[in-house]
Amino acid sequence: MNTPSNQELIARWKDEEAPLLPLLHAFHDRDGYLSDETLRDVAQGLRLSLADLYGTVTFYHHFSRFPPGQAAPRVCDGPVCSLRGAHDLIEALRKDGATAMPCAGRCDEPIPVLEGDKVFVGLTHDSLNVKPSPLPPKNPGGTEECVFASIREPGRSTLDGYRKTGGYEGLERALKSKPEELVQLITDSGLAGRGGAGFPTGRKWKAVADAPGTPKTIVCNADEGEPGCFKDRVLMDHDPHAVIEGMILAAYGTGATRGFLYLRYEYPETEKILEKATEEAKSAGFLGEKIGGKDFTFHLSVRRGAGAYICGEETSLLNSLEGKHPFPRNRPPFPVTHGYEDLPTVVNNVETLASAAAIARKGADWYQGLGMGEHAGTKLISLSGDIRRPGNYEVPIGLPLQTLLEDWAGGAPEGRTIQAVTMAGLSGGFLAKDGLGVTLDEPSIRSKSSFLGAGGIIVYDDRRDMVEAAQVAMQFFAHESCGKCFPCRIGTQRLTERLRGDAGPRELEAWRTEVADLGRTMKSLSACGLGIAAPLITESLVRYFPEQVARHVAAAQ
Amino acid sequence: MATIENSTQTLTLTMNGTEVTFSPGETLYEVAQRHVDRDVPTLCYDERLEAFGACRLCVVEVEGIRNPVASCTTKATAGMVVKTHTDGLEAHRRTLLEMVASENREIDVDPLSGYASQEMKTLVDRYEARTGRFQGKQSGKSRPDDPNPFIKRDYDLCISCYRCVRVCAEQEGDYAISVANRGFETQITTEFGGFLKDSACTFCGQCIQTCPTGALADHKALRSKDVPGEVKKTRTICPYCGVGCSVDLMSKGDKLVGVLPAMDGPANLGALCIKGQFAYDFVQHSERLSTPLVRGDDGVLRPASWDEALDRAAQGFKDAAANHGEDSIYAIASGRAPNEAAYLTQKFIRATFGTSQVDNCSRA
Repeated sequence: MNTPSNQELIARWKDEEAPLLPLLHAFHDRDGYLSDETLRDVAQGLRLSLADLYGTVTFYHHFSRFPPGQAAPRVCDGPVCSLRGAHDLIEALRKDGATAMPCAGRCDEPIPVLEGDKVFVGLTHDSLNVKPSPLPPKNPGGTEECVFASIREPGRSTLDGYRKTGGYEGLERALKSKPEELVQLITDSGLAGRGGAGFPTGRKWKAVADAPGTPKTIVCNADEGEPGCFKDRVLMDHDPHAVIEGMILAAYGTGATRGFLYLRYEYPETEKILEKATEEAKSAGFLGEKIGGKDFTFHLSVRRGAGAYICGEETSLLNSLEGKHPFPRNRPPFPVTHGYEDLPTVVNNVETLASAAAIARKGADWYQGLGMGEHAGTKLISLSGDIRRPGNYEVPIGLPLQTLLEDWAGGAPEGRTIQAVTMAGLSGGFLAKDGLGVTLDEPSIRSKSSFLGAGGIIVYDDRRDMVEAAQVAMQFFAHESCGKCFPCRIGTQRLTERLRGDAGPRELEAWRTEVADLGRTMKSLSACGLGIAAPLITESLVRYFPEQVARHVAAAQ
Repeated sequence: MATIENSTQTLTLTMNGTEVTFSPGETLYEVAQRHVDRDVPTLCYDERLEAFGACRLCVVEVEGIRNPVASCTTKATAGMVVKTHTDGLEAHRRTLLEMVASENREIDVDPLSGYASQEMKTLVDRYEARTGRFQGKQSGKSRPDDPNPFIKRDYDLCISCYRCVRVCAEQEGDYAISVANRGFETQITTEFGGFLKDSACTFCGQCIQTCPTGALADHKALRSKDVPGEVKKTRTICPYCGVGCSVDLMSKGDKLVGVLPAMDGPANLGALCIKGQFAYDFVQHSERLSTPLVRGDDGVLRPASWDEALDRAAQGFKDAAANHGEDSIYAIASGRAPNEAAYLTQKFIRATFGTSQVDNCSRA
């Protein structure tokens, strides 16, 4: 095949929806990096300011500006992988130009190394190989599952396999009734956003259905960037049609005609799986025009990010899709009225949409009944770190954390005890001591000044230096802070320095005061969740591990 | 958008315990500016630009909302109960200013740096935030290598408020600069991180004038920073084109040291171009003519009185018309002349010589 010219690539993408990212990826695929000439041509072709385009390209971790670019290995040094020897692996691959990358969402089977369009996993440079995402362990608790109920069925990721196990039945049923009835069903189920914010899904859909302005848009937030979270990956890899069906349902319920699945960069194989599933759904008549023979049109495109945690924040994601600098937007207005291209937009997490597909098939009461006590439904938990059986678990909301850790996942490794866990990936900070007595639901976890969020839990056993764990976490937040608001931009940097011990007071009381003051202002004044959540790391560190903090400050003298 | 019906209603909210009125679409910051005695502090706000919400200094407490909200980006709605200066807010503001102070090489910059250059220093002093807390790495990296003679790029003083980037895009439409990298590594940049002369920059100087820290500074004005004396400002009109931009000339003693755009200038509202902003050296140039000159029979110019010079010029016109015909005379009015002078020029040429040969250098 001939190598396409710059102008051919631009012509291929410039009239598509949300063209910037796929166009840059097309150049990336062709050359391995984005040259000055490429950026000049893209700016001209898409009528963008060259300075803006340059700035925006430098925002993303994985856009390369120089060779070897994509060919060089990028090694995850996230919180779990750094416990597993990521830095030794980077050293071993240094001759090939290896660099570190933030958590790449493979914490159940470390260490991922991204090279070109492939993800290798392994603990040493001579054991790296390509493997499919591990399926979730068979539900050890015996509780009924929602999104994982059929995921282990062979062939579930194909259209045929999906249909054989009840797939698209919910959509077919919904299409026989009015959109309002579908929205009501989702509202009645009690489903709430599973990406972490917990906003009631039915209410969001209704707000978009009621909002003036067309075309409306459904965005599936698959930018699973939270360290320690890899649940959306397993859903998309092994049950892609459930996510697509969820999006189609959202479109039907709200009157949306276009959809984007915004996938994080670090999941290249997932992109291929989604592209294939989208084609299958299209050929089966579930996507495109006159879906189900009705006056219902929905076009779905997969868009790949380029390495920016902040793009998991919904308004950053929308700016990224639009080809703008991915700073979060000021809210209000919210995406339900002013989303993609300032038009009404649903932004839902992968798990939320897959849950909606199950609810459309099995009903609101069924979903309600899956939770424990008063709680509705289930939550996927990505469990990793110092635990015998890491992996994705679908727990009934309200399950005691200890049950998950000890009974389902086998507890700490031989001879070890659990010292602490993180919540919400890293965003919820640490739970330890009495904090480990929580149940897996927001009210319980929030009572310990943390939150369940997207459902990533990283376990640290009694060997671990918790100040170092906190430093790895804060360094991640500093690396991913977008740089828009002052408290987050400066605060994450200053907290990292204090945890690393290379700046800040040498006297314990002054150290604690500075760290507390920084955290308080970040929590209250930051413009988005990143800066609000980051200080939970230091807050919980100081609360649960005062003696480790004291040792750290003393050692820095 | 507010409907017509809405805009005729009197809308009120409660600010610091007092009921105050506002118009539809107004932000809490705008309402506070009208109604609150003490300033609500800010570093990223320029009233000419879209509110951005970066510095978070202007946060206010709104009843029913858990965290303080940025008043610059929050629209006022009827019935809101707002507090602008609680102890908690003031403590956060002080912490924020300590944080911002910690990322810069210095806080005190010469007022010649630019129109807004004292904003950061003023706030840091007002909040007694020179505590030296939160020490650590500095953020911006200066570009002393940029050879342009107008805009000093001293990013060691940059606090990433992006006013420069926004004024360049929103006010000037030049889009010459942007934001590279992210987080604490953020830098203000041109395309490919190069010099301003190789970018879309027109050297209008607007970035200098909106910069609240002196990171972008007026290279030319700063040449005079060691000239003794206070800076005196004199309001006048830019002598170049016919737009009539208002400027404040800065002088120290008898020396013209720089130009500030007048934010309240009716024609420019703070905007200037490279000529009005930077091209003032001719005023006190050593080679500038200060008296009429006439050429003697020896061909050498010598000082003369206005009467003598004008007589000589009039005679020259007459001779040209007599010897070569009236169409041998052609006038070009200067683009720097006001409309009235341009009018007189064409009147002079047409009425005096009966020729239509007249033009303006803006067109020629």
